[in-house]
Amino acid sequence: MDSSVQTLLAILFLPLASAALIACFLRRRTWAGAVVSVLAALGIMLLSLKFIQDWDGETISTSITWLQLGDFKLELGVLFEGQVALMLLVVGVVSFFIHLFSVGYMDEDKSKGRYFAGLSIFMFSMLGIVFSHNLIMLFIFWELVGFSSYMLIAHYYETSFASWASKKAFIVNRVGDFGFLLGIIWTYWHFGTVSFEGLRHQVMVNPDMVKTAIGLLLMCGFLGKSAQFPLQVWLPDAMAGPTPVSALIHAATMVAAGIYLLARIAFMLSPEVLEVIIWLAAIMTAYAGFCALGQRDIKKILAYSTLSQLGYMAVGIGLNLPGLALFHMATHACFKATLFLSAGSIIHALHHEQDIFKMGGLFKRMPITSGAFLIGTLALCALFGTSGYFSKDSIIVAAYLHHRPVFYVVLFSAFLTAFYMGRVLWVVFFGPANSKAAESAKESSWFMTLPLIILSVLSLLAGYEFLWPHVASIAFEPEVHVVHEAILQMGLSVHMLLYGSLAWALGLGLSLWYYGLGASADRMEAQSPQLYCLFESKLWWDELYNAYVSKVQQRFADILAFLDLIFISGLLVRGSAGLVGLAGLVFRMAHVGSIQIYVYWFLAGVLIFWGFAVGLF
Amino acid sequence: MTSSLNAYLVVAGLLFAIGFFGVLLRRNILVIYMCLELMLTASNLALVTFSRFNNTMDGSLFVFFIITVAAAEVAVGLAIIVALYRKRHSVMSDELTSLSH
Repeated sequence: MDSSVQTLLAILFLPLASAALIACFLRRRTWAGAVVSVLAALGIMLLSLKFIQDWDGETISTSITWLQLGDFKLELGVLFEGQVALMLLVVGVVSFFIHLFSVGYMDEDKSKGRYFAGLSIFMFSMLGIVFSHNLIMLFIFWELVGFSSYMLIAHYYETSFASWASKKAFIVNRVGDFGFLLGIIWTYWHFGTVSFEGLRHQVMVNPDMVKTAIGLLLMCGFLGKSAQFPLQVWLPDAMAGPTPVSALIHAATMVAAGIYLLARIAFMLSPEVLEVIIWLAAIMTAYAGFCALGQRDIKKILAYSTLSQLGYMAVGIGLNLPGLALFHMATHACFKATLFLSAGSIIHALHHEQDIFKMGGLFKRMPITSGAFLIGTLALCALFGTSGYFSKDSIIVAAYLHHRPVFYVVLFSAFLTAFYMGRVLWVVFFGPANSKAAESAKESSWFMTLPLIILSVLSLLAGYEFLWPHVASIAFEPEVHVVHEAILQMGLSVHMLLYGSLAWALGLGLSLWYYGLGASADRMEAQSPQLYCLFESKLWWDELYNAYVSKVQQRFADILAFLDLIFISGLLVRGSAGLVGLAGLVFRMAHVGSIQIYVYWFLAGVLIFWGFAVGLF
Repeated sequence: MTSSLNAYLVVAGLLFAIGFFGVLLRRNILVIYMCLELMLTASNLALVTFSRFNNTMDGSLFVFFIITVAAAEVAVGLAIIVALYRKRHSVMSDELTSLSH
């Protein structure tokens, strides 16, 4: 094992060691857990940066056999290449700042040990996905991510909503993962291997090996983890967790894992699967935008914006340009982390007030936080020059080139994005303060503002590909280049810039005109309650699923419970016990206690033996 | 040699039958015990008879051992019966039924 693999393993196991240390020894201490966890995150970031700087761009692949069952060999290993380097950079850097922010945000929390151990185990799971050498190893860490998110969303488990939301996230993810697991098994059956290199080789040699059904099943994993249509219901409720956790889930880890998975297996997706993905994603971009307009909770609005942006990334995948998707994921990680952490800073300063109409006028009182939020919003709206412009507009342009109907949808969604983000921006930061808490808000501590400043700088700059290490930007740079060359040759690059700018300018301007500065009530709710109700209801998906579960699934479960009662616990358990009891009852009657009777039994025994010996039976 | 083999074996069989039916029908443990010994003696008689008629010493040798072991067994058995009588004040088998279910 050479030193590069050792470094990668050190990066992978550092957070696990941190989590184990905290869980075993430091749970009761207030600050020690935080220190250990933040140091581990710092170690991951520094080691990753150092490793990528020294790395020559050559694929590193190593594995050991973990389990052998006949022909089937389960391998654990590390596969390191361009996409992995990009992902490692994003996860390492963004997560460290989220860890640092958590120190400030969780200062009054009583169970810091549990929280920071959870963050560390989350990092371990995510890095495991990033380094995965094959689909089964990826699935193991995939489930670990599900577990850690469950643990962190339920951090405030005393409130019934948090424990309920964590269960919801877990169960909805299971639905997607079931399909994913079937897809992996089918992949093994069809290709005879699950390692990325082996699969890639086989598809390259014989492109006819690609099967639509396998692609659709593998896509189910992405739908669950990245909360895409129709499994989108868990993500907004996952806001019940602490805000830095939301930032972690939305920016660098959980939902990004879905996109990362699709980028890894893009070569296995047939055109039909890509068509399904692109339409699901395009609908998601618009659907999430409308839902965001019906929310008052600042975190939920950001959650819907994540759904919408994940839709953009999936459009990139659907156009068979996974590089664009990863690029948008990387820039999105920067600005979404900025947005969530600024929201966290506001919520912390306002003593856990999350209703945007009870904020107002925060720009004067919290300048650094507000500045960071402003930059994050502009990057999200793809203002020219910010990181979001480069990644999101590349996807919009690529959609224009390859898939015209989807182009109109995503362009409209870009306008919607600006509109609902403008609503937050004008209402929260400008105008008069709308509550006592907002009046007395103060800027947060350095633990919180420093990550905000750095992340907002990253949100501005992450789009310039020459700032990325070449070995990482190789994952997206060629595709971005091709798209821009193509549009340049059509002579439409200025048009595209105009379309994009029009979308955000129109969105921000209209929202300013419609909602006004520092509004204390939603104008749409007052003017057209039906429309607002429609947005707020999220098109009744939750109600639909609830009805399905209570009407169909519950009935089915009742039948199963009945069969269980009759056959398992009735016939098998009670039945066998009854049979033995009955036999005991019969044989007990022979036990009379009189010596003379026993002589007859003895005689009977002798006769049976005699009969057996002479061959009577 | 005045008597035939059959006569001896009939006597041994009769002794065994008396012992067996004594065990089955009598209620006094002491009598049951004596009947058990009677059966043992019946088998001893058969052994000695066969030994004599076959002109070998095997059967007679067995009998010596059986008598020795039976003596020891009688000592243990009688001791148990005495202990039983001390505890229960009875040696009648129909009163000693506490082993029933």
